[in-house]
Amino acid sequence: MTTNTASNKPDFAQLVDQFGREIFAYLFRQLAGAVETEDCLQETFLRAFRAYHRIKPDSNYRAWLYAIATNVARTHFRQRQRQGAHERPLENRDQAEGSEPAKIVESKLELARVRRAVQSLPEKQRTALILRKYQELSYAEIGEVIACSPDSARANVYQALRSLRSVLDVEGMEVGNG
Amino acid sequence: MDNLRRSASSEEARWLGDEEGELQRDELLSALDQIYLAQPAARVEAALEKTALTLEAESGRMLYYDEADAPLVGKLFLALSSAGLYALTFGGSEAAFLERLERSGRRTVIRDPGRVRPVAEKIQRYLAGVLSSIDVPVDMSGMTDFQRKVLGAVRGVPRGEYVTYGELAQRIGRPRAARAVGRALGSNPIPIVIPCHRVLAADGSLGGYSGRGGVRTKRALLHLEGAL
Repeated sequence: MTTNTASNKPDFAQLVDQFGREIFAYLFRQLAGAVETEDCLQETFLRAFRAYHRIKPDSNYRAWLYAIATNVARTHFRQRQRQGAHERPLENRDQAEGSEPAKIVESKLELARVRRAVQSLPEKQRTALILRKYQELSYAEIGEVIACSPDSARANVYQALRSLRSVLDVEGMEVGNG
Repeated sequence: MDNLRRSASSEEARWLGDEEGELQRDELLSALDQIYLAQPAARVEAALEKTALTLEAESGRMLYYDEADAPLVGKLFLALSSAGLYALTFGGSEAAFLERLERSGRRTVIRDPGRVRPVAEKIQRYLAGVLSSIDVPVDMSGMTDFQRKVLGAVRGVPRGEYVTYGELAQRIGRPRAARAVGRALGSNPIPIVIPCHRVLAADGSLGGYSGRGGVRTKRALLHLEGAL
């Protein structure tokens, strides 16, 4: 890898070491565990590497990488929509509590409903929710990623919760039918 | 905004980070946790390894360039790879320089003053007589084997001294190849730093110089170095 002592920026490899795992986690969440998560991680860091010379030394590298990852995930979504591919969720993720079979089935149905509801959220809301709660970005950082003010970033997280509750309340009647 | 803030339940307010405190069990929030908290550790490591390899390959293809003004030769264009100084030209246009870089193939060419500046400054200071050597790594990967041999030998000619084309041919073990040596010098992609100006004709005359200003520039460089 290259060194970058001249511009007071960290070596790019350092950014991969520092943020690679959380960017993977983010893409994994955005893509619902799809097998393309790995490709999107590579694409994210490749785009970042090619643009690294344009970013100022005192920038928030973390938010910058998240913004690129968000674009990569969006492009991926659109390609998948065009190809009409089905969502490929990861196996073994629905860890149901309790051991009674009936409870497990019920819990899996609930999770499937919530997952569908999350996927149908407007992109900004879903992104803000994941960034806030599971990637632990500040509202200011989320604002940088989805191009809005910190207040608006918070409003997006809040709206995501509201939308999920209302969708699930309406759907609540149909749980038994799967 | 304030309305939204007020309307969040205290459970959600804690979830949103508005309030401190432990979260109570909430079906939606714990379902979200179940959906989002699981991560496949093995896939992460494999993906990071693959990403590092991709970046390594990309790094080998990158060239960073910029321009600088220098005494004796005027405007310089320089290009660096991750291995070192890859190309230098003076007197030509940016477009011609970029065309030359693109001809080298397999390269992503990016203007990056921050990265190029330290190298440019060394060359500027050398040409201003402040530094007595240009201590920068050189990337000779774009050259033919013969060019590498010839220009590698040229790098061994110290400041203030010179050799003839014939002597240089001998040094590389090709005593009859003086003409080919001359051609390799004429296509030196990194003049000044690889000091092809320190190679003179057998009769002590300056011979040729393919850089801008021709023999006049060659003489000025040798004069700067105290060889003349």
